[in-house]
Formats: sequence, structure tokens, C-alpha cells
Amino acid sequence: MRRGYIGWSKAELPEAVFAARVKRLRDAMAPQGLDAMVVYTNNTRTAGVSWLTAFVPYWAEGLLVVPKSADPYLTMAFSNRIVGWGKNVSCVAKFEGGGRPGQAAGKYLAELGAKKIGVADLEGLRAAVAQDMADATPGAEITDATTIFERVRLQPDAAEIALAAKAGAIAQRALALATGKETILGEAVSAIDHAARLWGAEEIYMAAAPDLDRATHFIRPEGTITPGQRFALRATVAYKGSWVRMTRCFGVADAALTEAQTRFAAAVGQLPNLDGFRAFPSWSIEGCRLAQPLDVFAAPSMTNPRPILPGALLTAQAVIAVDGNKIPVAAPILTGAAGFPASLLVAPVFS
Amino acid sequence: MLAEDRRNRLRAAMNGAGIEALVVYGNSWQSDYLRYVADFSSIEGHGMAVVTPDGAVELFVDSVAEAERAEAETSGIKVSLAPEIVREVAGRLERIANHRIAAAPLGFMPKYIAEKARGYKLEDGTKLVDHLLMVKTPAEIDTLRKAAKLADDGYAVFRQAARPGRKQYELIADIEGFFRKNGCADNFMIMGSGGKDVYAMAPPSDRIIKPGDMVTTELTPAVHGYFAQICRTMVLGKANDAQKKAHALYREAMEAGIAAAKPGATAADVARAENDVFRKRGYGDYATSKYTRVRGHGLGLFVDTKPHILEDVDTVLEAGMVMIVHPNTYHPEVGYMVLGDSIAITPTGAEVLTGTPREIFEV
Repeated sequence: MRRGYIGWSKAELPEAVFAARVKRLRDAMAPQGLDAMVVYTNNTRTAGVSWLTAFVPYWAEGLLVVPKSADPYLTMAFSNRIVGWGKNVSCVAKFEGGGRPGQAAGKYLAELGAKKIGVADLEGLRAAVAQDMADATPGAEITDATTIFERVRLQPDAAEIALAAKAGAIAQRALALATGKETILGEAVSAIDHAARLWGAEEIYMAAAPDLDRATHFIRPEGTITPGQRFALRATVAYKGSWVRMTRCFGVADAALTEAQTRFAAAVGQLPNLDGFRAFPSWSIEGCRLAQPLDVFAAPSMTNPRPILPGALLTAQAVIAVDGNKIPVAAPILTGAAGFPASLLVAPVFS
Repeated sequence: MLAEDRRNRLRAAMNGAGIEALVVYGNSWQSDYLRYVADFSSIEGHGMAVVTPDGAVELFVDSVAEAERAEAETSGIKVSLAPEIVREVAGRLERIANHRIAAAPLGFMPKYIAEKARGYKLEDGTKLVDHLLMVKTPAEIDTLRKAAKLADDGYAVFRQAARPGRKQYELIADIEGFFRKNGCADNFMIMGSGGKDVYAMAPPSDRIIKPGDMVTTELTPAVHGYFAQICRTMVLGKANDAQKKAHALYREAMEAGIAAAKPGATAADVARAENDVFRKRGYGDYATSKYTRVRGHGLGLFVDTKPHILEDVDTVLEAGMVMIVHPNTYHPEVGYMVLGDSIAITPTGAEVLTGTPREIFEV
């Protein structure tokens, strides 16, 4: 579920930011002869449409149509009584609700006379939505445009980097509120969750490794859990469409934490070479490439990691073994321009 | 226990229908089918599970964080991190293409998996799983009783949180903090504040609560994935006569709906009982889709599950179903007002699960 504050901040995301992103997308569409690009959104796959319009659905699904020259159009499958809210929190020329998104988007595309329509992640689109759109655009070619969209979406602009830094700062400040002396895990989780939402987080997902001496897996804290001597909390925070993960460990000696921090930063510095991370017991690199806010780019079980490009905004996670401790670390990172090292966007929280 | 019961019921239902394999889909908004089959509720990304002909369950998730969580939180199933999830699930189904495979909900299947060009054929297993989701076991109802108690407690916190000068999302932060402190991992809530200008509840905004505002909310906390709901309205200050009169109308309608909720009645009967009260008082227009979505809905592993309480839904109610009856709608004299209680259908009628007084609160 989504429970935080969804709002379009014109100070942090001026209209010019969205205009520039739409232009970049159109520039990428043109050589392929696309008359329009269609991007799906729902509660889980928010990050394509929010990047182009600021809109994040609280529930319901929708489609954004970005024509090659006409106004972008967002259609959501929620009641028209909620459309006022949607318009208030988005930056898009046309916004409608009430209908079936596939039908409504198809109708708009047909009115524009679109003959070649690209869809980001066409294979993953709900089949019924795809069929509705196809039925409403007879004669048009509907083609998978994942690669085109991905190429544009993978390049963060200054606004997106700033929002990720802010999400990281919210996570860092909120995680700092836990004392490590809580007898029930819920007390620490509550303090963090509450603060992040008060500070305007769009969402915060809390996870816990309740006893690091037994396991480093992060679970969803539910029910009454007594933390072990050494435990870790992870906050996955969204702010205005940008998502990061950060962790904090409790009960581990400062020297071990400092060593873990050093090794983590060194592994980050080697990216896009993954050898530094491959030395850790477990690790992952995530980022946004289409619509899922944190899509996996690389992990030990992936036989074909996705390429890590220069200038990418990512989140790295690792479990680092130091002096018999297993220390989970996570933080947002920014890869450097070609030939330059990657760096931490926000310092990981340790002690 | 809950997970094992669900899996046994599912196997029996599949055997009864001659279905040999099942594929289900879930995401962070709606994870009920997935939770039923794999005892896993998605938070991020897609989750899909396949019940194979040998009865094993394989869970596919495309988020690395979710794969790690699933490994730790589930037992007796195989978990796979599947970055290309639609292709990987389709590939799994190809390998059992000579069996009868159902999909639930069929309408949620991604295009690649649903395409006729695949080597397998998908039957619609939605109704089969829907019936299991709607009619709960005693253990499931007991879990929903706990969720309803949490909803009551949460509303008491909400009443304390709603103070002039605060923003809507700050209230929700308080509630979420309360739920996390009490071990509740998930909740759905929307709200409204203001007067006649408010036509619906919506996600929390930065709108500032003011003296005299009518503040509406529905809280829907989950216990072990089971959601119970409460809807109440308060006034910041003294409720005026129009608000009190309107509230009496909603209370009469809700109680009429609850009285109609019994085995053998239909969802339409419950909706009609609620709407007849509005019609009798001259507010029939406000019981239509122009002003309101549903007059209640099922509860369980999803916040808005079947049956929807509407006059054109002929689902027959059975003992074991759990739902909320809420005649929430716009009122022309006071604005959007809500009132709703969670109920369980028993052999003799409705057991009301929520216990917060049915009053318009003044704070």
C-alpha cells in the first residue's frame, strides 16, 4: 500500500524539468518513427510516469501517452471524483479518470492519427489493457519501445539526483532516531517510519534483520519481535518519485563499522567493475530503468547483469564480513563519467 | 497454520475443478491471490507464483529485496529472483504445457504470459480462487477480529492526531507510527477534511486542518496480511444540526445494510437496504455512482476484495464472508461523510467486528 504524502513540489520539480524530459523522450522517439510513446503506471510501477509528470498513483492503474508533438495525456482508472486530486499533484497537459486506461489512451491515439505506437515494457503490460488499446487503434502498429524509453530514463538529471539525495537524507535522519536499546523492534521501526512521513516521504518501507548473529536477511517487521544483541534496520524511502535504501546496524563495535564503511566505499569506487562487490558475502546494485523504482541491475544470482552506465543513479547494498560480524550496508550512489570513479550520494549510517 | 490451511483448501479446490496447475499474480496494491498461494505479500515489483502439477509452489519475484525477504519469510516453496519475470514465468508454464493450467486473476496477467502464441493454454481460475478468498476459515476470521481491534485502536489515535493547524499527511504519519509500533506492517487509508467542497476521500495532502472541518477517514490495518476496515467522521468543534442529521441518515443506512447481511442474501440486498434509506429520505441521487463508488466491499487479504456491495452484484452471501458495510457518499448539505463497520457473516446474521461507537465525533 502507499500511505505517504504525494504532492508535486514546483520548487523541486519546476515545469521546465518535465518539459526537458519530455523533449528528450521525443528526441529518442523520432529516429524510430514513433508517433507516440505509451508508459504504464500503477502502485508498483510508478517511476516512468512520475518521472515525466510528477504523478504517483496511490492506487489504480493508468497510461501516459506522449505524442511526438501534441499534448501528453494521462488517463487513470479511478473515479472522476478523485481527478481533482490527480490534477493537483501532477504536471501534465491533459488528465482524465473514470475509464479503462487502454480504451481512453487508444481513443486519444486514434484521434491523433498515430500509426506507430511505442510502449515501454509492452511484454509486462497487463494483457487486458494492451488489448483495449489495440482495439481502439485499428490499423496502428503497436511496438515494444522498452529500449528507447530505457535509454532516456537511465540518465538522471540534476533534479532527480537532488531528490535522491533528499530521500537519502530523510532515511539517514530517520534511522538516526532509533537508539538500539529498544526492547521491541516495533518501537524503533515506529520512530523511523513516523519521522520519515512527517518529513514528507512519499513512502517508507521498513525492513529488519532482527538478529545479525543468526541471519542477515531483511524481513518485514510484523508482530512482536525482540531484537538480538546485534541487529540492523533498513529504510527504503521515496521522495517525489526518487527511491533509495539505507541501513543502520546496532550492537556492532565502531571499529568494525568503520572498516565496513571503508570497504563499501572502496567497492563503490570500482564501479562499473563489480569485483569489489563480488568479494562480499551478498550484494546487489539497483536503480530505475523503466517504471520500477528499484530494479535489480546486478546481484550474485544474475547470470546477465544489466550494464552500469556512467552517470547512473543507483542504490548499492552489501553484507560485509568484519571480525566475525556480518554488517549490512546500503546507500545511494552516483556512477562517475567515463573514467571517473563512482561515489556515495549519501554517507551510509553506521553507528 | 493459516498458510497450510490455505494451501490445503487450494489443492482441494483445484482437484475438485480438475485444474492441475495454477499461476497467480500480485503486487503491492493487490497481493491476495499471491498471498493465498505462496504466503507472500508483495511490497515492491511483481510477484508471481506457479502451483505445479506435483503440488509444489514456485514463487518468482523481480526485486532483489523481495527475493531475500521471501527466502526468509516463506517456507516450503521455491523462491526465484526473476529480473525478466514475465519470460521466466512463461518459460516455467511452457514446461507444464500438457497440463490444465488456470490463471488467477486472469485479467491481471501480463501480455507476454497471456498471449495465445505461447505453448500453453490458460483457463480462467479467478472464480475458483475468489471463492476461497471470500469465504474464510475460523482461523482467518479470528485474524480479522484482531485486525478490526487494531482499526478501532487506530481510530482512537486518529482522533487525537486531528488538530487544527496540522497537515493531512502529518495525521497519517501518526497513525502509521502507531501501527508500526504495534507490529502492524501494512495499512490502507484515505481521508478528507473540509466541508461541502469535499466530494470524496483522497490520499493525504498538505491541506491544513481547520476548526469546524469535518474530517473523514477509512483505516484498514492488516494482521498477517488480513485487512479490516473502519470508517468514521469527526468534526473539529461542535457538530451542527445539519451534520448530526446527516450522520443519523448514514447510521440508519449502515445498520439497515448490516441487518440485511445474512447467509442466502445477496450483495445487492445489502446495497439495496442501505440505498433505500437514502431514497426514503430524499437523497437517492447520492447513492448513485455519480457520488459514490460502492456501498461496502469484501475484506480479507485485499482491502477491496469481492463482493462489492452494489445493487447489481448478485453474489450470494455465505457464512465466513467478511466485509465492510459503508454508505459513504457526498451529502449536499454537509459534504462527503463516511461511516462503516467491518462484519463477518455467521450462520445467523452479521457479527460486527469493529467496536468504535457509531457517532459523529466532536474533538
